[in-house]
Amino acid sequence: MRFFSRTPLLVCVVLGALASGLAHARGDEGGSVVRVWCHQGQEAENQAMRTIAAAFNRAHAAGHVRAEITFFPDFQYTEKVSIAAAAHDLPDAFDLDGPLVARFVAAGLLAPLDPWFSPAELDDFLPTIRAQGTIDGHLYALGAFDSAVVLYYDRALLARAGVTPPPEHEAWTWDEFLAACRRLRAAGLEPVTLHMNETADEWFTYAFSPVLWSAQGRLIATDGRTVRGVIDSPENVRALQAWQTLFKEHFAATDPIDPDPFDHGTVAMDWSGHWLAPAHLAAKGARLGAMLLPRVGPHPAAPCGSWCWGISARASDRRLAAEWDRWVTDPAHGVEPIVRANGAVPARRSAFAAFPEYARPPYSLFRYQLERFARPRPRTPFYATVTQQFAAALRDIAHGAAVAPRLHVAAAEIQAVIDRRAGAPGAKR
Amino acid sequence: MIAWKKSHRRAAPWFLLPALALLGVFVVWPMLRALGWSFTNADLLDPEHARWIGGENYSSLLGDPRFRRAFGNTALFALMAVPVQTFAAFLLALWVNRPEPAWRWLRVVFFVPVVVSMPVLAVVWTMLYQPAQGAEMGLVNAALGWLGIRPQAWLHDPQLALAAIAFMSVWQGLGLQMMVFLAGLQNVSRALLDAARIDGASAVQRVVHVIVPALRNTIGFVVVVTTILSFRLFVQPYLMTRGGPGNSTRSIVQSIYEMTFLDQDLGRACAAALLFLMLVGALTLLQRRWTREERA
Repeated sequence: MRFFSRTPLLVCVVLGALASGLAHARGDEGGSVVRVWCHQGQEAENQAMRTIAAAFNRAHAAGHVRAEITFFPDFQYTEKVSIAAAAHDLPDAFDLDGPLVARFVAAGLLAPLDPWFSPAELDDFLPTIRAQGTIDGHLYALGAFDSAVVLYYDRALLARAGVTPPPEHEAWTWDEFLAACRRLRAAGLEPVTLHMNETADEWFTYAFSPVLWSAQGRLIATDGRTVRGVIDSPENVRALQAWQTLFKEHFAATDPIDPDPFDHGTVAMDWSGHWLAPAHLAAKGARLGAMLLPRVGPHPAAPCGSWCWGISARASDRRLAAEWDRWVTDPAHGVEPIVRANGAVPARRSAFAAFPEYARPPYSLFRYQLERFARPRPRTPFYATVTQQFAAALRDIAHGAAVAPRLHVAAAEIQAVIDRRAGAPGAKR
Repeated sequence: MIAWKKSHRRAAPWFLLPALALLGVFVVWPMLRALGWSFTNADLLDPEHARWIGGENYSSLLGDPRFRRAFGNTALFALMAVPVQTFAAFLLALWVNRPEPAWRWLRVVFFVPVVVSMPVLAVVWTMLYQPAQGAEMGLVNAALGWLGIRPQAWLHDPQLALAAIAFMSVWQGLGLQMMVFLAGLQNVSRALLDAARIDGASAVQRVVHVIVPALRNTIGFVVVVTTILSFRLFVQPYLMTRGGPGNSTRSIVQSIYEMTFLDQDLGRACAAALLFLMLVGALTLLQRRWTREERA
């Protein structure tokens, strides 16, 4: 009897204790705190981010400003940030993948960054990084690093097949590329790997959009909402038919098992990103060569883009949040330590001095294409839908689907989503 | 005694409170929110500015060929997986239902796939199903090659992909149903079986006339659970084919996931999730009624 009558009291005490615990946690923060969210990368990268944050805190100790950084696993980071946005729980500053900036801007979640960077400072960023974060003429995100895709090759294997690579800043035409594949095949070699076993949809859009771009094609019209007649344009059909030849003629595997056949010496060329450069150099040394991606039309094309930093439109103090973004994209405080950790391409021109490898290929090629003709993936609020559908189409085309009908299906499905969402609250701007 | 009962009754709500609070916060409230959103054009990133659009999400979903395809795929998957899985699990249970300790390891072997994480199995089976590329091919094609069957692009052929995923799923889930049947078999009266044997019933007759009637409720339970699990199909096609080729393996759950996080169409996704909930609920009720009638 006594026990039962005390139960409500017990419940109240427990709840009260919990509540006071929460209140305590909130009241604990002295000075100004910048809440920062960051995707979790390789451990070296996370360690670098922690060091960058610690340096930020030391430099701002006098002003009682402190950055509190929280890491979220890379897997479904975007989903987590989206849910936090819906719950009004976004931090002051956070990083996001470049192609998603437009979506966050459309939903009114990002504040412009242009007030916080001088024109001279902006000039120091690679043009691709500025383009990636610029939506409707305003800058919303800047990254500390960029990315690149090239065609790596093994000089010895090419020589064995009698294939001559193009001069350093030139790209093969698609016919030259196919001819090279044919000769390699005739010499008993596997010509090229396209990493078709990649599970992320993004690899496909990122790595193979340049094939369309080089043929003057696009994924979506400049209005950011017309796909029908654009993604399935004659230019794109022609480009992807050329691309499909690689699989039809068995020059590239549609379902490779070995994740790195190039370093293992079974494949002569590798269509892949900057992140494999260190491994390739270690495996091949002086035998490693790199060229621009083969082109279907008259001009070469290349992708770009990576994680970048924005500030929340609801940040309690935008100036402080922007101060964090300035710090992580600063050549010495942010770019150098993070690039040392993750091996990406520095986003600031002045930071290249710290990386002497950029004087030589393959690294020089990364910077060359980012400075000249690389372009960001489409900046549209519907990017996530576009990339998933395009990647699905590419997978099917690689496995033999007829190009034009498959692109028509993708166009219809994406357009249906856009037409339905065009009037929705989060996609208006 | 009466006093004890009274106090008992008064205290009961306090004991129920934690469970009810948890249920309310994590189940009832989100479901009500979802129900509310399903009648709006809510955006995942900006749900506040949602506008009431009535039943439009529901009507457009029911007419959407992509969503109907996902429903059709999932139903077809269930139709392939449930009977085969139930029947095979039953046979396996009969086979391994022996008291000798040596048979225990066989039960363990059949149960292992249930315990291994599905993403791992999806990767392994993607390799097993590898199409032929030159002389190289996956183990499935190689094994069929010995039988004289030409190699197939299991996961890339629209006609085969869903069946290939169903086969892999049956193999993976079999152990669980086998265990349930094994538990049921322990309750089959030994005396009845012995009597049947003395009366000269063959092994098949004993199964059909003694074991199956005795296991009726277990069979009902297994069918219900397997059907519900089948309708929740997501991980295997998502990791093995991404719903492709075309839309031939896109499941209902994958559609809901894509509506939420790719199209960020929260209202429509909530409507789809509620339709899905109603479907699974209806299936459960239908099959519960069926097993109850059998019991009576």
